[in-house]
Amino acid sequence: MRWRRLAAVLLAGAGLVGLSACGSSGSTGSATTKTAVGVYASYTQVMVFWDPSDSYSNEIIAMPQMYETLLRYDPKTDKFLPDLATSYSKSQDGLTWTFHLRHNVHFHDGSLMTSQNVKDSIERTMQRGNGAAYIWDAVKSIATPSKYTVVFNLSTPSPIDFAAASPYAAWIFNTAPLKQHGQNWYAKGHEDGTGPYELQSWSSGQPLVLKAFKGYWGGWKGDHYTKLIFETVGSSSTRAQMLQSGQLTFTDFLPYQQIEALKKDANLRVTVTPAWQNLMAFFNTKVAPLNNVLVRKALSEAFPYQEVITSVMHGYASQSRGPIPAGLWGHDPSLPQYHYNLAGAKSLLQQAGIKPGSLNLTLTYTAGDDNESAAAALYKASLAQIGVNLTARPMPWVSQWNLAKATNPSQRQDIFMMYWWPDYANPYSFLYNLFHTESTVNFNLAYYYNSSFDKLIDQANTDSGINRGQAVKLYDQAQTMLYQDAPAIFIFDEQHVRVIPKSLKGYYDNPAYTNVVFWYDVTP
Amino acid sequence: MLHFFVRRVLLGVLVLIGLSVLTFIITRVAPGDPAALWVGPRASVAQIERATVTLGLNRPLPVQYAIYMDDLAHGNLGLSIETHRPVSSEIASYLPASLELVVSGIVIAILLGLPLGVLAAMRPGGVFDAVARLLAVLSVSVPTFWLAFLLQIVFFKDLGLLPLAGRVSNLVIALDPITRITGFMTVDSLLQGNWVAFFSALRHLVLPAVTIAAYPFGLIVRMVRASLLDVIALDHVRLLRALGQKRYTIAFRYALKNALPPTLTVIALTFAYSLTGTFLVESVFNWPGLGNYTAQAVITNNYPAVMGVTIVIGVIYVVLNLVVDLVIAGIDPRVRYV
Repeated sequence: MRWRRLAAVLLAGAGLVGLSACGSSGSTGSATTKTAVGVYASYTQVMVFWDPSDSYSNEIIAMPQMYETLLRYDPKTDKFLPDLATSYSKSQDGLTWTFHLRHNVHFHDGSLMTSQNVKDSIERTMQRGNGAAYIWDAVKSIATPSKYTVVFNLSTPSPIDFAAASPYAAWIFNTAPLKQHGQNWYAKGHEDGTGPYELQSWSSGQPLVLKAFKGYWGGWKGDHYTKLIFETVGSSSTRAQMLQSGQLTFTDFLPYQQIEALKKDANLRVTVTPAWQNLMAFFNTKVAPLNNVLVRKALSEAFPYQEVITSVMHGYASQSRGPIPAGLWGHDPSLPQYHYNLAGAKSLLQQAGIKPGSLNLTLTYTAGDDNESAAAALYKASLAQIGVNLTARPMPWVSQWNLAKATNPSQRQDIFMMYWWPDYANPYSFLYNLFHTESTVNFNLAYYYNSSFDKLIDQANTDSGINRGQAVKLYDQAQTMLYQDAPAIFIFDEQHVRVIPKSLKGYYDNPAYTNVVFWYDVTP
Repeated sequence: MLHFFVRRVLLGVLVLIGLSVLTFIITRVAPGDPAALWVGPRASVAQIERATVTLGLNRPLPVQYAIYMDDLAHGNLGLSIETHRPVSSEIASYLPASLELVVSGIVIAILLGLPLGVLAAMRPGGVFDAVARLLAVLSVSVPTFWLAFLLQIVFFKDLGLLPLAGRVSNLVIALDPITRITGFMTVDSLLQGNWVAFFSALRHLVLPAVTIAAYPFGLIVRMVRASLLDVIALDHVRLLRALGQKRYTIAFRYALKNALPPTLTVIALTFAYSLTGTFLVESVFNWPGLGNYTAQAVITNNYPAVMGVTIVIGVIYVVLNLVVDLVIAGIDPRVRYV
């Protein structure tokens, strides 16, 4: 009887070992004998929207593999690289932009891409008006004088090259399937772009699998990943373990503590690049005493910038100089900034007639964001030292935003903390959305209405389509105005920290395409 | 028996209608603007207003509920606020993953828990009973996420025997993909004769299924032991013993039948609860199941998805309870007349 039991135990153990030996083995993060498989694990759902006109979410990491834009922007050189357009020119008044298209480019269904496809794609995106479609607002009409020439006629000068390189609302796709299957065909989980990879399989909750598109205009000579898997792995510790065990090629977000641990792994390397994302705290300038610029300046001087950067961001950030982040054109490192100075803050509050202990403020931030939470806690501790009582309230984003849009300004929060990042490589995205006068509250959550400021940035945007140097000067003036009026605390400009396998060659963290790996350009 | 069945079905329908009213009211009065979520984080006021009309959110609540129920009667659970895709197809995509996991977990729990409970009851107070009770208490009280991490550390990191997470390996996804038939990867790969995929799916299933099994295992051991101890003390069992029947025959063939009804009820409730209650296990093992989907829906205020999941789980609860009631009625005729 005992022998029988022992045999059963041994058999169970052998079964487990046998099971572990079965199935495929090896690393998917590297090249196999014939197929190189790249695996990208995202912390959140990858394919939220499939329609290239509406795409405005995390699918940005997969869309550039299936679709292409007319141009691609390279912030390192501040130049546009050819993509579907090989060259472009603009008229002197900045109202006419002509793009010359690449020849012999095919969609994944085999049909030829022509200027009519470009026109149809952009016009459909504009008509639907979803996501970032506003980037084409200046476009009056699109003409197709030849099979490979597209002309954008604008109502006002605008930097259309930046729009044409945007990772949102600028994808060129085939509209023919929509005529056959209806306007929801893309949204149901189909694609028909010109990108290097085409859809192999996908369904809700399952990984997105792409395979090399044999008819890609760039060809497949040399080393390329030929299959791509995009999966959602919510747990950061699971992603870190997968990265270490070679099951992952790339992941989009890891907590700083884990990055420090992964640095010790000999098979991994860390890259740090300025991200075009910054954290700001907006004052409710419509209520007393925050309608007093002295109080706002005092509160700006009471923010512990370096402490937040060191202890919360682990040094992977720099103190902001105005709303335009480091790395994006228009950012000026010589602009003035507030420094942590509690004595100065106290003195400014005295000048404003605020007695210690009499000022109670409420700051809202997005629930679940650990960095915002920690920054708010440090700010609270700092303010307590000068007799200001801060209540930091975490809220779901929609609730936080709804409170900020309350009809009565006194019902709104005193300070609103949030991140901003541009839809495309244009500083106007920061200055217009966050500080331009609004008839109805949208994202100007400091409620800062200044017609001189509005004129400056509108002019700068117009000039950026004709004369970038002049535009930068105007943006400088506008940001100096913000420094003086202090409608917000410009806390830090974030940096992207990536941990990638050393075997991944040619990776370039382009902040114009946040979290995107251009898989065709990297080698396994 | 027919009367019993009809009465149970009608009660189930009433429960579902009540559930739909409750979830509809709760999701609509919860803070947040679904129209703002529908159009995305940076929408203009005009876009939000347009979405409000598109989604019918400008209509009175009773009208919205009537439309929802009409759609529901036609199998339409609405569109996801987050992805704009039909909730029914999204649930259909996530549900099989959870079912495969929970069914495997419950089967493991029954296969181990049932005999262990019986054996413990046969020698109450003995060493085996003490060990069984200790195991039962441990498996019920251990936090599932902790157990999940522990299993990962031992079987993936230290021993390298089993995979860390996911339903199949990425090599299988890329090179030997499974065509979806039932959505159960082990079943689908078998049906297609894809052995590489089958073993990969089986290996990936072991750790999460064992984690899921822990809680019902403990419950089953305790329930079976307690119920059997009650039954063993009854006269008819003592008579069987006096007639010379073997102890194991009495326990498994005669006494267990009487001790099963409360255990079956607990298993059914645990099963339905596990479908959405396994969020932590699904999260640690990156298992794309209904728990993950529901958690994401709650976080993003995706009310059609929350309502859809609630209705689906409600139906599963009602159906399972009905089946269990019928089984118990089959085992114990007294139940039919209650």
